[in-house]
Amino acid sequence: MHWIRILLSRCAALFRRPQLDADLDEELCAHIDLAIEENRTRGMNEQQARTAALCAFGGVTQIRETYRVQRGLPRLEEAARDIRYVVRRLRKSPGFALTAILTLALGIGAVTSVFSVVNAVLLRPFAFPGPDRLVVMREIQIEAGGERWLIPDNYRHFMRLKKDSKTIEDATIFQQRGMSISPTGDHPRIVGTVTASPNLFAVLGVQPVLGRAFVNGDAEKGAANVVVLSYEGWQTFFAGDPKAVGQTLRIGGEPNTVIGVLGPGMRFPQIALAPKIAFQEAALDALLYQPFVPGDRDLSADMGNFNYKAIARLKPGVTLAQANAELEELQQAYTLSAHLPMHLGAALTPLTQDVASGVSGALWLLFAAVGAVLLIACVNLANLQLARAVNAESETAVRAALGASRGQLVRLRLTESLVLAIAGGAAGTALAFGGVRLLLAMAPADLPRLDEVRVSLPVLVFSAGLSIAAAIVFGMLPALRSLRVAPQAALKANQTRAANTQQGQRTRSLMVAAQVACTVVLLIVTSLALRSFSRLVSQNRGFDSSHVTLAQVDLFAPQYGDFSAAAAKTAKLSFADRTLAALNQLPGVESVALTSVTPLTGETWVDTISRPDHPVRPEQEPRINVRWVDPGYIPTMRIPLISGRNIAASDRANPYVVLISERTAREAFGGEDPVGKKIDGLVPDDKHPMTVIGVVADTRINGLRNTAAMVYIPYWAFTPWTLSFLVRSSRPSDALIPEMRRALWQIDPQVAIPTLKSMDEQVNESVAADRFQALVLSGFGAAALLLALLGVYGVLAYSVSLRRREFGIRIALGSGKSALVGLVLRQAVQPVLLGTGVGLVMALIALRWVRSLLYETPVMDPLAVGGSVLLLLVAAALAAIVPARRAASTDPMRALRME
Amino acid sequence: MWTIDRRAGVPENKSDVLQGTLDLMVLKTLESMGPLHGYGLARRIEQVSGDTVALNQGTIYPALLRLEQRGWVKAEWGISETGRRAKFYSLTRSGRKQIGQETENWERIAATMARFLAPAK
Repeated sequence: MHWIRILLSRCAALFRRPQLDADLDEELCAHIDLAIEENRTRGMNEQQARTAALCAFGGVTQIRETYRVQRGLPRLEEAARDIRYVVRRLRKSPGFALTAILTLALGIGAVTSVFSVVNAVLLRPFAFPGPDRLVVMREIQIEAGGERWLIPDNYRHFMRLKKDSKTIEDATIFQQRGMSISPTGDHPRIVGTVTASPNLFAVLGVQPVLGRAFVNGDAEKGAANVVVLSYEGWQTFFAGDPKAVGQTLRIGGEPNTVIGVLGPGMRFPQIALAPKIAFQEAALDALLYQPFVPGDRDLSADMGNFNYKAIARLKPGVTLAQANAELEELQQAYTLSAHLPMHLGAALTPLTQDVASGVSGALWLLFAAVGAVLLIACVNLANLQLARAVNAESETAVRAALGASRGQLVRLRLTESLVLAIAGGAAGTALAFGGVRLLLAMAPADLPRLDEVRVSLPVLVFSAGLSIAAAIVFGMLPALRSLRVAPQAALKANQTRAANTQQGQRTRSLMVAAQVACTVVLLIVTSLALRSFSRLVSQNRGFDSSHVTLAQVDLFAPQYGDFSAAAAKTAKLSFADRTLAALNQLPGVESVALTSVTPLTGETWVDTISRPDHPVRPEQEPRINVRWVDPGYIPTMRIPLISGRNIAASDRANPYVVLISERTAREAFGGEDPVGKKIDGLVPDDKHPMTVIGVVADTRINGLRNTAAMVYIPYWAFTPWTLSFLVRSSRPSDALIPEMRRALWQIDPQVAIPTLKSMDEQVNESVAADRFQALVLSGFGAAALLLALLGVYGVLAYSVSLRRREFGIRIALGSGKSALVGLVLRQAVQPVLLGTGVGLVMALIALRWVRSLLYETPVMDPLAVGGSVLLLLVAAALAAIVPARRAASTDPMRALRME
Repeated sequence: MWTIDRRAGVPENKSDVLQGTLDLMVLKTLESMGPLHGYGLARRIEQVSGDTVALNQGTIYPALLRLEQRGWVKAEWGISETGRRAKFYSLTRSGRKQIGQETENWERIAATMARFLAPAK
């Protein structure tokens, strides 16, 4: 433990320097005095005695220096001295210091903000114990061509896998949906619920803080209704009452007994049923947890009923690949032994990755973009630092001549960069707190784990590391340059001439080229994102969203019942009829319509078409989206009718008629005319065959990215529990919304209205993620362009200022102004063109990876690529023209007299 | 001027003090002589070595500091035999223990060197 004692004594010495110095001096004086005395007793005179004493002692100054080095922490003291010196020097050029610190602060602030989001959404494991063993479990449908589609879980398949698997420790199956709650008897609201097998909390490793978790008995048929509240749910519905356990909460009108309350850290992960299939309710935060009671269909159906999500916990030490292989094998064996008409596989994805899967590409892209901006900023700073190092060459030469070691010279310059970086980093971290809030305000609301985004400890560590990395990036080159200073040459040479060596010019040009290259890549990516976004919002949607107002109504009350009750069927039908009539009565209404799924909320109610006249294997049946609509839907949405006829009021008596979209017609009927053809029943629990009565145009009604194969069936055949009413009116939505709400609650005050807004707003929100990406990328692209512009300008302006004398001579010798302008511009052309070329090559590589993030935009989109390059060249020309003109306007007399 | 060339007046046949040996000399001297001030230590080492070691007396101070930092010696201000205020150094308990180990080390090195230097048989 010696070193600890030594370190402590050395550290202590740092703070008692004056005292210790005085002590040492006195001790040394005593030594000399004692020696003199002894020498005198030997008969020397005063002078001789002193000389001999000093002679025997050795160099006093050296001893003192050695002693001090031994005593304190010389490295630390030296560093402190360097820092003091650097700070003094920076204060002498506040313009430079402020520019550098501000640039760094903005750059580091931006990167740190984006990293906060990346960290929370993509990197941070969930706050469950052993989070790396949690996986999302889905089934796979293997099509005839070998294509594999991820699909949600079937209950029977899940139970079989859970029983047979040796790699899975435990697994839970669940559904997420919205339920209507009205704790005060007021109009209800829709809250997110998770209905899960009773082992949900055990699989996740979560314990209720109050009451108990589910037991198996809770999930048996006929068991009493029980509910576990999330912490937020407990706060919302019981105001955090510690006696909430045992009380009753009405969910969808049914009384439920509260049996437990979860802790504040428990947030249920947002898991999609399958990629591309999303329920709007999944995005709601889960406030309530209910045990899942399997129904007859769950227990018996091997085909269809793929309606569940599942989370499994792997056994310790089992790899993902092992578990995947085992489940795949079990599934395939089962497919064969049970003679299923489809081929099934299974797929596990780590929970963190699965939750982020929809956004990880886009977020990494943003992170890369903001990183590139910081890199460009660092290159700018490196250029500034280089110019300063060159200006300080004679100072460096003096230091070297006086014996400063190479290490000391490099350290001094690196210290300057570090001081700047730390100041910039600290300011940047402070900015990041604001940046995170800005990002959160702009970010699409359905970004998973958004509530976890904050400037946390890992983010701060990242930010600190980033500052130091930045210092090294922009400080290393100028620091190494001071090694090359030959003291003699530098001292002899005129300062400015030494500065403008060929070498320095080349380094600066290369840095400009690097900057331009990064900027070109970033600009191309940005313009592609903008092109992609504009294509997404401007293309033909097949429906007209303007002047339409939308109200989604959830019929989650006992009188609307569940699948089986006949009375419930009439209640729903009557509610729909009365609402349509009431909305029609509102002033200024052109038309009203009903559809079963709120537009732009993704693919839902996915089924397959089978034709009795043309049977195919089940996996080859076209997948379609079923929508239950009224006759007003097609005209209200202004969807063109291609052939046949629309649903009419006269179909009410025999509602087994369907309208199909063009895509459905193509996929199910090939070249045949579908009108008049029969298909198998699509109505739940009703095998009545249906007749195709018309074909309508394809729409992007589920999401602007894709058209979908649609089947529209009159709501008279089946009325679902979620109804979306559309009102077309020339009156503004703001005026209509309160009237619509009043009309709906006049019919039934106990229905929930989770969505009530204009259709345009709904369209806008559906592309929020794309807009966010385009917007943020545009910001980064603009920043990069500005920085590159400053870079080109800075290098040229600096070089012009160094070459004033030369320009003066040229003018004196008769060179024209335009020739001088050309001379300077030519100096800019080389690095800019080189950078553009390299940037295009880099873009070629980078864009491969961006391709998947673009919507129907080729990565080599000529407008995006050409426009970006042109924009950059124009900007560079603008940046170059100012110093070029300054060069041309050099006054020869003044320039020559300058030295 | 205070600074005097270190080498001035050092006869050719004297050798420099080997790195690390000075520490042992100091410890050993303190063991046999009891508390001493720096000058006394330096003189004593010179006397014992029979003036064959080129010791700049000053180098004893960094060595003393090193030993102090390790906790092997401690220092106190006191009055010299001639009435001058001076810093007196004495062994600590762990310093006393250390002597045994350092001596062993040194003997091993010396023996090794002796084997190298012994005339080949």
